[in-house]
Amino acid sequence: MVFSVGALLVAAAVVLFIVQPMVKGLHASLERDEDELTETEARKRVALLALRDVEYDYLAGKLDDEDYRSLKGELTAEALAALEADETARSGVLSGSAAAALEAEIAEARAGLRSGVFCSECGFANDPGSRFCSSCGHALHGIPAA
Amino acid sequence: MTVLGEFSLWIALPVAIWGMAMGLLGGRSQRGDLVLSAERSIYAVTVLLTLASAGVIAAFLGDRFEYWYVASYSNRELETFYKIAGLWAGQRGSLLFWALLVGFFSCITVFQNRRRNREFMPYVVGVLQGILTFFLVVLLFAKVNPFERLAFTPANGQGLNPQLQNYWMTIHPPTLYLGFTAFTVPFAFAIAALLNGRLDSRWITLTRRWTLLSWAFLSVGIIMGMRWAYEELGWGGYWFWDPVENASLLPWLTATAFLHSVMIQENRGMLKVWNMSLVVLTFLLTIFATFLTRSGLIESVHSFAQELTIAYIFLAFMGSILAGSVVLILYRLPSLQSENRIESFLSRESAFLFNNLILLGAAFAVLWGTVFPLVAEAVTGQKISVGPPFFEKVNFPIGLALLALAGIGPVIAWRRATRRNLTRNFAAPLIFGTAVAVVLAALGARHPLALTTWGLGAFVLFIIVTEFWKGTKARAGIEGEGIPLALYHLVTRNRRRWGGYIIHAGTVIIFMGFAGAAYNVDVRKHMQPGDTVEVKSPFGHTYTLTYEGLSMSVGRGQRNLQWQAIALVSVAKDGKPVGSLTSEKRQYVTSEQLMTEVGIRPTPVEDLYIILSAVDDLDAAVNNDPKAQGVDLQVLVKPLVGWIWYGGLILIVGSLIGLWPSAERRRAADEAPSEEPAAAGAA
Repeated sequence: MVFSVGALLVAAAVVLFIVQPMVKGLHASLERDEDELTETEARKRVALLALRDVEYDYLAGKLDDEDYRSLKGELTAEALAALEADETARSGVLSGSAAAALEAEIAEARAGLRSGVFCSECGFANDPGSRFCSSCGHALHGIPAA
Repeated sequence: MTVLGEFSLWIALPVAIWGMAMGLLGGRSQRGDLVLSAERSIYAVTVLLTLASAGVIAAFLGDRFEYWYVASYSNRELETFYKIAGLWAGQRGSLLFWALLVGFFSCITVFQNRRRNREFMPYVVGVLQGILTFFLVVLLFAKVNPFERLAFTPANGQGLNPQLQNYWMTIHPPTLYLGFTAFTVPFAFAIAALLNGRLDSRWITLTRRWTLLSWAFLSVGIIMGMRWAYEELGWGGYWFWDPVENASLLPWLTATAFLHSVMIQENRGMLKVWNMSLVVLTFLLTIFATFLTRSGLIESVHSFAQELTIAYIFLAFMGSILAGSVVLILYRLPSLQSENRIESFLSRESAFLFNNLILLGAAFAVLWGTVFPLVAEAVTGQKISVGPPFFEKVNFPIGLALLALAGIGPVIAWRRATRRNLTRNFAAPLIFGTAVAVVLAALGARHPLALTTWGLGAFVLFIIVTEFWKGTKARAGIEGEGIPLALYHLVTRNRRRWGGYIIHAGTVIIFMGFAGAAYNVDVRKHMQPGDTVEVKSPFGHTYTLTYEGLSMSVGRGQRNLQWQAIALVSVAKDGKPVGSLTSEKRQYVTSEQLMTEVGIRPTPVEDLYIILSAVDDLDAAVNNDPKAQGVDLQVLVKPLVGWIWYGGLILIVGSLIGLWPSAERRRAADEAPSEEPAAAGAA
C-alpha cells in the first residue's frame, strides 16, 4: 500500500514536471549566441593569435632577434591580408556608418601591427607609442618594430 | 525503498526516451517548450536513477539476499563500508552507477547552460538522454537488472571477493567511472555542434574543462588501479597489460591526444575533422571499456559477467554511434576546413601532430593486442592470449618518443624552427640530460632503456623548470614584482598552460619510476625461523632479512576471515635494524582461494617488498603445530616505485591548477555569456 502510493506520487510528479512546459506554454530560450565567427573573422583571429605567440616566445627568450624578425614580418603580412579580407567581406554586408566605423577599427589594428606595439598579455594591437595596453593595462616594453 | 528503486528504473526509461526525442525535435523545429521539457527530463531521470541506486544500497545494507545481486556480492559479515561500495562491486550495480554518473554530469551541464549556449542545448540534451536510454535499456532488458529476485531467499550471501576488499578498490572504480562518464559531455557538445552547424571552436572552448576533468579522473583512476594491484594482488607488480587495465588505458590515450590537438584548433584553426574524430573515438572507447569489462567477452581477473545478450546490445550501440558520427562529419565536411596549414616538419604545430599520431599509434597497438585474442579465437577457435612482452615491445619506444616530445613541444618555435632556434633552446637541456645519463652510467646504471628514460626525463624537467624560470623572470622584470608573486601571477594568468607543464612534470616522474623496474631485485628462499636472507639493493646497500616465525590468528568469521597465517620478518639495512615486515596468507569464509597479503617498506628511492609465497604444511600451521614453521619467502627490491605515486600526486596538482576557475572567468560568467580571454601564449 505504502509502496503503491509512493510509486504513484513519484510517477505523477515526474510526468507533471516534464509535461508542464507544453501545457503551460513555458519556453526555454533557443537564442543563438552572437559571437559566432565568420570564416574571415576566424582567419583574422588565428593570424593575430599566431602573432601573439611569436611575441610571447620572443619575450620569453625562445626566439632570437633574427628568427623573431623574419617570423614576425611574415605573420604581420598574413594578419594584414586576413584583416583586409575580413574588411572586404564585411563591407559587402554593412551599410555606410557601420562600415566606416569598421574601417577605422581596421586602420587602428593595422597601425598597431605596423608599429609593433603589441600586448604580450592579451594580444591587443595598441597605438604607436603606447606604454600600457589599452585593452588590459599590461605594461608594454621592449618590443622593437619589425 | 528497494521496491521503489526498481520502480524508478522502469519510469526512468520512458522519461529518457521522451527527453531524447524532445531534445532533438525541439532543436530541429526550434520549439522552446519541447526543449524545456527535454531539459527537465534530465533532472527527472537523474532523480529516478538516484532513487534506484539508493534502492540498491538499501538492499545491501538491509542484507536483502532475495536479490540476486546482493546475494552474489555481499553477506551479513561484510563491513558496512563495502556494502555501500556494493553498488559498483559487480556488473549490474556498476552499470546503474555508470548511468547515475552520466545523469549527474548531465544535470550539471543543463544547469550551467540554462542561460548560455542555448543553440547547443537541445541537441546536447538529446544526445545525453540517448546515452542514458542506452544504459537503461541494458539494465532492464539485458538480464542484468540489479533488482532481479531469486526464487528463494538464501540465509546468507556469497560475500564479496576478498581481493576487492581493499580501500583502493572502493575508490578506484568510481574514480575511473567519473573519468569515463565526464567525457560524455564533450561528446554531446561535439555532436550538437555537428547537428546545429556551429562548427567554430566554440564547442571546444565550452568543453575543454570537462575534457580535462575527465582526463584527470581517468589518470588518477588508472594510477589508483596500479596501486591496488601493487598492494593487493601479491605478485609485486602494478601493471600486467590485463584487458581491463588496457580498457581504461585506451580512452586515456585518445583523450590525451584530444587535450593536445584542441589547442591547435583553438590557436591555429587546424585539425577540425581530426578533433571531431578524436572526441567520437574517445567516447566510443569509454563505452568499449565498459563493454570489455562488463560483458564477459574477455577472460581476465576482472571479468565477472557471462551473459552475452548485453554484448550484442553494446556492439549495436557502439556501431550506431560510430556510423552516426561518421555520417554527420562527412555531411559537415565543407564547414570543417582548416584556416591554416602546417608549414614545416620542425615546428611546434608538427610536434603537436606527432604527439597525436604517437598516442593514436599506442592506442591502436593496445587495442589490437587486447582484441586480437578475441578475433583469433573467433576465427581459429583457439584461445590465445597476448602477454606483456608484446605490449612492452610496442609501447616502450612509443613512451620514450612521447617523453621527448613533452620536452620539445613547449620550446620549439611555432611555424618553423631554424637551426639557431633549435640550438638556442635545446643545447642546455640536451647537455643536462646527457650529463645525467652519463653520471648514472658511471654510477653503474647501464640498462639502455632505463638510462634513456632517465636522460630524457632530465631533459624534459630541465626544459619545464627553465620555462617557469624564464616566464617568472620576464614577468618580474616587466611588472616589477618579486619572484614569488610573479610566479603566482604567471600561473594564474594562464592556468591551462602552466598546469599542463606541471602535469608534464608529474608524467615524467611517473615514467622515471617505471624505468626503475629495470633494476628490480627478486630473491626467493625457503626459510625456517631464524634463517636470514641477504638482498643487495641496486643503490648499493644490503638488506638482511631474518625470518622470525609464523603466527596464526584464527577468526570466527568476523570480517569474513577464517584464519590468517602471519610471517614476521625483521629487517636490517647494512647491519642496522630498521624494523619489521609481515606478509600473510589468509583464508576467507567466502572464497576457496587463499589470499596473500604482502609486506611493503616504502622509501622515496625504493620499496622493500616481501611475499609469503607458501607455507610448508598449512594444515599443521593452522593447528598451531610448532614444527610447521617453514615458509617460502620472496623478497623484492623495487627501485623508484614510489615515484609513480608521487608523480600521480603532482599530476593531480597540475590538473587542479588547470581546472580551477580563474577570477576573470568567474566574473565573465556572472556578467555575460562571453568567451573568456584567449589564453595568452597557450602552448
